[in-house]
Amino acid sequence: MSDRLFAQQSAEDWLRTTEGRKVSSTRSLRGAMVLALVTIVIGLIMLSFGEPYQQRLAFAAYVNIVVVVGLQIFMGNSNVANLSHAGFMGIGAYMTAVLSTPLAMKAMQIPDAPFGLATTEYSVVPTVFISLVVVAVVALITGMIVARLNGIAATIVTLALLIIIHSVFEHWSELFRGNQAFFGIPKEANLEWGIVAGALAIIVARLFKDSRAGVQLRACADNELAARAMGVNVWRMRLVAWVLGGTICGVGGILFSYYMGTINARSFHFHQVFLTLAMLILGGMRTVTGAVLGVIVLSVGMEMIRYVEGGPLIVGIQFPEMLGLSGLALGVIIVGCMIWRPNGLMANLELDEVLGQYGKLGRWLRPRSMVLDSEGPPRAGARDGKTSKN
Amino acid sequence: MEYVVQQILNALSFGAEYSLLALGLAIVFSIMGLVNFAHGELVAIGGYMMYAMAAIAIQSLWWILPLAVLFTVIAAVLLERVAFRPVRRAPATTGLLTAFGVGLILQNIFLLTVSARPRAVPVLGPLNQTWSVGPFTISSLQVMEMLATGVAIALLLLFFKRTPIGVAMRAAAFDFATVRLMGVRANRVIAAAFAVSGFLAGIAAIFIIARRGAVDPLLGFNPVLKAFVACVLGGFGSLPGAVVGGFALGAIEVLILVIMPQHWGGLRDAAVFGLVGALLVWRPQGLLGKTVELGDKEA
Repeated sequence: MSDRLFAQQSAEDWLRTTEGRKVSSTRSLRGAMVLALVTIVIGLIMLSFGEPYQQRLAFAAYVNIVVVVGLQIFMGNSNVANLSHAGFMGIGAYMTAVLSTPLAMKAMQIPDAPFGLATTEYSVVPTVFISLVVVAVVALITGMIVARLNGIAATIVTLALLIIIHSVFEHWSELFRGNQAFFGIPKEANLEWGIVAGALAIIVARLFKDSRAGVQLRACADNELAARAMGVNVWRMRLVAWVLGGTICGVGGILFSYYMGTINARSFHFHQVFLTLAMLILGGMRTVTGAVLGVIVLSVGMEMIRYVEGGPLIVGIQFPEMLGLSGLALGVIIVGCMIWRPNGLMANLELDEVLGQYGKLGRWLRPRSMVLDSEGPPRAGARDGKTSKN
Repeated sequence: MEYVVQQILNALSFGAEYSLLALGLAIVFSIMGLVNFAHGELVAIGGYMMYAMAAIAIQSLWWILPLAVLFTVIAAVLLERVAFRPVRRAPATTGLLTAFGVGLILQNIFLLTVSARPRAVPVLGPLNQTWSVGPFTISSLQVMEMLATGVAIALLLLFFKRTPIGVAMRAAAFDFATVRLMGVRANRVIAAAFAVSGFLAGIAAIFIIARRGAVDPLLGFNPVLKAFVACVLGGFGSLPGAVVGGFALGAIEVLILVIMPQHWGGLRDAAVFGLVGALLVWRPQGLLGKTVELGDKEA
């Protein structure tokens, strides 16, 4: 016991003395802002010039940014594949629905709701707060199981978790309306909120990745034996990432609910899981930039594929309807990525780290002293701030 | 009394189905560390083969059943060659996600080429009869399923104990590098593992189709999901664990069906998974899994 305590303390001292944390949090905040700025600019362009249907697609993309970034927090840092994130999104969405739907609508849809929910109606702030607390509590309870398991077993338990959450939505009809759509949710969200939430999620995820917990968790993912020998509490780090990631997915669900006004349990099942998973894998799950890039590329790509799937009329030729094409494309993307580019498009570098190799902006983004990093060899100039003092 | 016997039979036949599938998963995992999420699609391939053969006028079960199993074996070996060989050296998560993608591709190919709707396979009807043994009426399918599972496990034991390739496979699960140093071809061992898992999936497909009477793109998904849970319950990668986990899961499922009030029937899977989750808190390594200290060479 005392040995372990000693190991833990010295590891923490070591993490402090290298100043890794302090420097890296300023740097990572700057880096996160670069990425967030890119998404904000894209969003503002969509806001000013986009057609209404394009804005709808853009909003869906921002919800997916929030969800995929939430997924990245656990999956990217712990390297344990998680398949239950859409379930957490669903919890956020359904909690918003049962809390904030107007009473008249509730009387029609869920007259027998438990906990007096049929006779109460909350405004936006308490709804968001209560929903997030519920998501976080569910994440905490499930996380205690998931964090105990290793790799594969953990993934299968997350899959079982998705099924559990889904079947609760489908069968607790007094509260969630079962397999019927839940409608009449006030439409409080708009694209602006989507952009803000996306940017915040990016910043939180990046700060977590470079925080002490994030670095420790990535160390566990790279070499659990070594990390444990350094005194890292694997269980606790996984749990922290799980709860944080799950809660952010819940934010995605809340946005979705408030924007669509109508939700259905099927929206938070396998299709959403596969879509967001493919986004994360394509972009590269080790970085927040990868998560965002994957969402952008696939949002555009899937829209095109959906167009072909519906049997379009191209230069006078009527193409047949091809149901299943989008699913096929997702599968091909996942398999192709795994075979040819298992680390995704971004691999190990964040956007700012790529930019950091060039010019004045790069110098601003580069770290001033050694930065604790668990990733591969540093690229010239990007990482080794120690040798290239500005 | 009859009710009790019926429920025990149910538990055993559920357990048999899960064990067959879980064994197939465990064999592949124990040798190459791949979590084959596309296993359910092998079951679906078996199902579609039966549908196709019945459609092109092969009506004799003596032809359809062996051919369906054969096709499933071929499909399993082909999948390994095309999709899983490139990621053989990759970490477990990569393999898992690849398998997920492969499953997704196959499902959507069925959707594109056949139909999203279930297709009836009435040829297997004769397998599903009710027999009366003394005071009990039992389903022939359940009895056959248990027998087939028993025979399959016995054959598997013989295969692993008596044939050179079976011994090589057991050795490979223990230490692949040494097996290769002994002059055994890695590709052959892995192909054999996939062939065995395809064989088991083919047998499972027969019983699943006979029970449901139809095949659809998502046919294998739910049974294989259960089989995964059975694997985790028994201890991932352990073959006896897969069998024990499969039967334990069958028993848990029937128990929950019996105990739970009727109108909660839809929550059966949720309750089963919840219970398994609780068991894993108690034994994270599964029922038969060993706790491997990190850095241990022996698993």
